[in-house]
Amino acid sequence: MGGRANCCNLAFVVALSCFAWVVSASEPTEVSGVQTADERCQPRQLPVSTVAPKPVDFDTEVVPVLTKAGCNVGACHGSASGRGGFRLSLFGGRPQDDYKAIVQEFSGRRVNLAQPANSLVLQKPTGMLDHGGEVRLEWQGVDHKLIERWISEGAPRLERTKLVNFSVKPNSAVVKNADEPARLQAIAEFSDGTERDVTAWTVFTATDSASVEIKIHSNTRVVGGDGKPAEESISQTVRAIVRRPGQHIVIARYLDRVVPIELIQPIGHSTMDRDGKSATNLVDRYVRQKQSRLGLWSSPDADDATFLRRITLDLTGRLPTGEQVDAFSLSRRRNGSTTARVELIDQLLESDEFSEYWAYRFSRLLRIRSAPRETQGADAYANWLCAVIANGTSLKEMTRELLLSEGDTHVNGPANFYRVGADARLQAEYASELLMGARMRCANCHNHPLDRWTQDDYHGLAAIFAKMSTGRMVQPNPRGEVTHPATGEPAVMRIPGQEFVPPGSDGRQHLADWLFADDNAYFGRAWVNRLWKSMMGRGLVEPSDDLRATNPPSHPALLDALAEDFTANGYDIRHTLRLIAKSQAYAASRAPPDVDDLVLKFYVFATAKPLPAEVLADAVSDVTGVWTGYGQHKAGVRAVTILDGAIAAPQLDVLGRCQRAEACETIDVAAQRGLASKLHFLNGDWINKRLIAPDGRLQQLIAKDATTESIVRSIYRHAFSRDPSSAEQEYWQKTIKAAGPAERQAVLQDFAWSILNSRAFTHNY
Amino acid sequence: MRVKNCDGVTRRDALRVGGLTALSLSLPGLLRLRSGHAAKSVPGASAKAKNCILIWLDGGPSHLDMFDPKPNAPAEVRGPFETLQTNVPGVSFSELMPECGKRADRLAVVRSMTSPLGEHNFGTHYLLSGYRPTPVLEYPAFGCVAAHLRPTSGMLPDHIAVPNFRVGGANFSGNGFLSTTVQPFAIGGDPAKPDFSVRDLDRFPDVTAKRLNRRRKFLAAVDGFQQAVEQQAADVNLDPQFEQAFRLATSPEAKSAFDLQAEDARTRAAYGPRTIGQSCLLARRLIERGVPIVTVNNPGWDTHQQLYTRLKEGFAGARTPVGLVPSLDRALGALLDDLDERGLLEETLVVVMGEFGRTPKLNTSGGRDHWPRVFSVALAGGGISGGQIIGASDAVGESPAERPVSPADLTATIYTLLGIDPGTELHTPDGRPVRLVQDGTAIEELL
Repeated sequence: MGGRANCCNLAFVVALSCFAWVVSASEPTEVSGVQTADERCQPRQLPVSTVAPKPVDFDTEVVPVLTKAGCNVGACHGSASGRGGFRLSLFGGRPQDDYKAIVQEFSGRRVNLAQPANSLVLQKPTGMLDHGGEVRLEWQGVDHKLIERWISEGAPRLERTKLVNFSVKPNSAVVKNADEPARLQAIAEFSDGTERDVTAWTVFTATDSASVEIKIHSNTRVVGGDGKPAEESISQTVRAIVRRPGQHIVIARYLDRVVPIELIQPIGHSTMDRDGKSATNLVDRYVRQKQSRLGLWSSPDADDATFLRRITLDLTGRLPTGEQVDAFSLSRRRNGSTTARVELIDQLLESDEFSEYWAYRFSRLLRIRSAPRETQGADAYANWLCAVIANGTSLKEMTRELLLSEGDTHVNGPANFYRVGADARLQAEYASELLMGARMRCANCHNHPLDRWTQDDYHGLAAIFAKMSTGRMVQPNPRGEVTHPATGEPAVMRIPGQEFVPPGSDGRQHLADWLFADDNAYFGRAWVNRLWKSMMGRGLVEPSDDLRATNPPSHPALLDALAEDFTANGYDIRHTLRLIAKSQAYAASRAPPDVDDLVLKFYVFATAKPLPAEVLADAVSDVTGVWTGYGQHKAGVRAVTILDGAIAAPQLDVLGRCQRAEACETIDVAAQRGLASKLHFLNGDWINKRLIAPDGRLQQLIAKDATTESIVRSIYRHAFSRDPSSAEQEYWQKTIKAAGPAERQAVLQDFAWSILNSRAFTHNY
Repeated sequence: MRVKNCDGVTRRDALRVGGLTALSLSLPGLLRLRSGHAAKSVPGASAKAKNCILIWLDGGPSHLDMFDPKPNAPAEVRGPFETLQTNVPGVSFSELMPECGKRADRLAVVRSMTSPLGEHNFGTHYLLSGYRPTPVLEYPAFGCVAAHLRPTSGMLPDHIAVPNFRVGGANFSGNGFLSTTVQPFAIGGDPAKPDFSVRDLDRFPDVTAKRLNRRRKFLAAVDGFQQAVEQQAADVNLDPQFEQAFRLATSPEAKSAFDLQAEDARTRAAYGPRTIGQSCLLARRLIERGVPIVTVNNPGWDTHQQLYTRLKEGFAGARTPVGLVPSLDRALGALLDDLDERGLLEETLVVVMGEFGRTPKLNTSGGRDHWPRVFSVALAGGGISGGQIIGASDAVGESPAERPVSPADLTATIYTLLGIDPGTELHTPDGRPVRLVQDGTAIEELL
């Protein structure tokens, strides 16, 4: 019992207390006949890890037992402060420390060389002595015997070999149904060139246990004889039974390595384009490959009007203007649809509207937000951002500027980057999410339970940011530091997951260099995932700022290919957006209403994207021709040009604006527009007022005695970038006429209201 | 007003640690004390409750300073408050709860609630849904499930949150994998303010009821045509949230349901002038008008510091205590009386709880930290028999001493009391069946 002052610690300690592993090490299960998903996936016969008569190797034989038994997870002895005075490295990441903890600490009482079976390290986990973490090892089980033998050999650390690679065969498999389980085999390669089957020491966990069941069958057998000493060996058969169609993930963990395994049960029966090779666009290659493995199909392209509206909204955050509609239809008639689309994409990417809209999108990621009574910093930041996007500055250059800028934040825009997080730790969390798509927050209080991040990484990154003073003047502050909670000492600057930064050198420079090193796995993937999500409506990794081995992408190969392409093409956002825009996956037609998420996830149809608050506000202004002001910005300003999230704009808040005080990229816009905003659209003045404004489009048309037909056409063209169909025209003319002349004014308002509130208008299809 | 709990952990983090649960951890040993049967509907359950008022004490209320005092424990556990004898022999509450003490015969208190999740978001998810958070699925809160399974199609939404539903760090949506339409309608305003009203309930000038009807018809036409452009089916279901907004906007009764001015001064005063009091009063008005589920969200219970001031006085040196507990005590007392007098108590289940309890030992800041291993939940009305204490914590309020009750058990109990079989299956958007309660058994003493 303890009333700890640090609630985060307490919260996680309680949440993650040492409870039993789901997968127990030896749970005999009836399994009939080995059937694998695919002939190609037939497990290779490899030497099984044996409890061999040769001396036990601590690093590669004892530590895996500790990992499998769960001794060194973050919630137990793997916690930064250990448990019950006994500390192990997280998932056995530092065997030298574990060796010291087991053999040397506590006056060596954890191992009893004279009576190995009486060693504390065996007595506790087998439940012979009271153990807070309950029983972890079976008494006289194979693992128990292994450790006992290691102790009887004098508990040496031989360092015979090191783990160099861990893989699972298959790492991706198509499993037709629940009757054909996939057999999973874990293989470790060691530095001495040996390769061993380590399935028995690997923990397999399905991320969705309702969809995938892991069945484990253990065999212990005694081999040998013939004059040789008998060997006892353990082997384990692990099968994954897939119970539902779709793509499922099983995570395999061995020592400190984590490997995701994809198990696919086909959703449909399509056999279209089996390999995706015919696709010229790399996006389509991978999207189709996945579709065909799932038995899915590709839908036909959306029609030209839909495509025009979709691409214009995605690239410029605006509805196509009347001129754009006309120009596109002219170009289509002259050059055909395909060429017209390609030209349109190129034009939009080079337009000022593109720069304006993407500055808005980036302002949310950079969390531009002025402090009370101090707007100069946010203004400088916004001006810099607009210039950077307009100039086509590469994301690499932009990021380097963010990381390396200093000086007066009222003048030097990018230096405001250092003023986002309230302190060095929050800044480190923010920076890792923005630049690496990685959430390190957990590693504040303890090593990250699901990712590779340690407290050293977290506080080491914070230490880099602590070396900057972050008042109005951002400048180096050599004496700045953060305290590492595990040591109570100042944390040493560190590049996450890499190495410590030599004292006295500029940590920011090291960080920037590392982010753009050839083998950096974070920066490019994080950014292409964001760009993908903005175009396709969902990230390849969701949530889009949570990239980690235990949260694998839906299309891993596509994410890698996009990242590689992005890096190779100078970190140019326009390049990647162009690539996506020109794919057939992007051009797919709108999903019928009854298609479920299972299919939408694989880009068979286009996903409907709710318009962001600012874009919707501008769209309503464009259609109604009535503009409103926001905060100190006068009427006429486009909402997307307001990059400072602190500007008071209740009209935007009711539409679900993200005020940039926290992460904007994972906010569910549709969920923000619930009953309360629907009520506002009905009864509030946001739309109602614009429909009666004398200088608005509708009242102007009415004042000019425009025919019903031309009013309907005008509203449709502005809202949907197309003319109404004849059925639509007929319906509206008839309905509006039927209301009678006295009601005409009101019924036209109601017509325009219904257009602006329709799903077709408030979403980008 | 937005009260932030100490650890700004978001739902994403909940998913992350939920992921850990899925990855490697199973039920705590503690819960293995009881048999883990899947939920069954209890035959012969009375199911008198038609409505439910959940009073959510966001942040985690201290069991030791409310429903489970430990007068004989050492001072650092006992805390700063005395104990009072309730009207049920042998049952004591904290001295801060005289009104509840006088009505203990109508309350049932579970003193052996236990959960392994000591973080706001996770605890909230578990207590409100009966499921621990997982990375693949967000489960719906029981109030949202009830609204989903028993839509009333009344003028008022089926689930209303007073004043809002910012629970567990504001990242728990409530609807989980169900559609956003079952999210509670948050009224937004503070019912204790003199100018309290629900925004946008008044019609825009000249937009008559007839025109609202026309707009609804037109809206269906626009989307119907739009879909027909790309394919055959043109059968349009309007967005259910729009439909709800439409009902609210077109109903004269809706507006009066939220009108606290219509209550007489004596009743308003009985509930107390604080937000919790007037919120409970509004809850009663809504229940009376056919809203089946009301969540009263009362923030601020995350008392890491200054427990004495925050729980009792409200502000340092207050002559009349207006802290969290006295304000709740007054509101809850008045609510029980009011429901009873109007004959609504039998059919209205009142549940008072938060996401966990507080540490038995006071910390160095004179506060108590998170403690999920044992805590208390109080229930009343809905046909339960009052005057009961279910389970017990140990001598220092650290662990359950007998009859551990998990959040899943509690959820099963609430569903059963509401006449909903906890074994009912819901379906996720991708068609997977999910039982309302997976491994919980309803508390028999309450049925």
